[in-house]
Amino acid sequence: MDSADTTYLSGIHEIRVDENSPLFEKTNMLYKEFPSDYRQIRYFTLLIVQSAPLEIKEINLLEQQISEIIKNAVKHGNKCAPEKKVRVWYEFDASHAHLIVQDEGEGFKDLETWNDFNRRRLEKLAAQDFEGLADFVSFRTDDSDDNDGGNALFAALEYWNGGFVYNTRRNAVAMLKTYPQRHLGVILEDRPGQG
Amino acid sequence: MELKIRKTGTNYIIDVNGEMDLYNSYKLKELVMKMLEKKVERFIINLENVDYIDSSGIGALIYICSTIKKQGDKLAITNIHGSVKKVIELTKLMGYFPIMNSIEEAILRMEE
Repeated sequence: MDSADTTYLSGIHEIRVDENSPLFEKTNMLYKEFPSDYRQIRYFTLLIVQSAPLEIKEINLLEQQISEIIKNAVKHGNKCAPEKKVRVWYEFDASHAHLIVQDEGEGFKDLETWNDFNRRRLEKLAAQDFEGLADFVSFRTDDSDDNDGGNALFAALEYWNGGFVYNTRRNAVAMLKTYPQRHLGVILEDRPGQG
Repeated sequence: MELKIRKTGTNYIIDVNGEMDLYNSYKLKELVMKMLEKKVERFIINLENVDYIDSSGIGALIYICSTIKKQGDKLAITNIHGSVKKVIELTKLMGYFPIMNSIEEAILRMEE
């Protein structure tokens, strides 16, 4: 496959488990906790995103990406049990967004299956096999229902360019997004990944 | 989210207004399925007035796209922009969805 587009296979393309990642360092981070109320996922997300500085471009996109992680915690982690909490540590400035989201569920047991599915999806993309890609556009498990797009983590892994890492129990995920900084009109490179 | 249907020739344009999120994306899916039952064959989903989409919205578009493809009917998705375009790019579905810049371009493509 000489013509394969290898850009799809570059960068971070796997969800990792690493409890010792510096992304789990909570010092100086803000904190909120929420009940697992599905109806309020976007509201909870707004409560967090409102502390992001105006310098962050594409705030809609940041909100959407955070909302997906909180949804996963509420729905797939805590199974919408109202007494179970979702805990969020967060920190924003003009150069980065850093979050840790933890639920009280059993953990992301399908993580390896997801990585394998995603690897095969990226291979289809690299080969520009859009027919074959049709089988890899939505990751489904026994848990999935009609409202689950099955694509949130594909985008998450791309968006959180500084790392997207689970703890050992797999019920907490830490993530970092870095934003390019402008100095005298020159865009500097993103901060290297800390994941 | 509000959905409006208009017709030009044999093409049915669905104008989506508002946000396609976890609470309402199923409505677009249901509407398209009802239109398929009524033998509509050419769909243009116009996202000009959509500024927010999440994985449920993307999932609804995937479902619609795959159902219409399987039936041999025609679909175009038009006027994606801003964070909607970004989310589709992050999900790497730009090549999977039949995306057209404008309704006019989509209508021309339908005629081919």
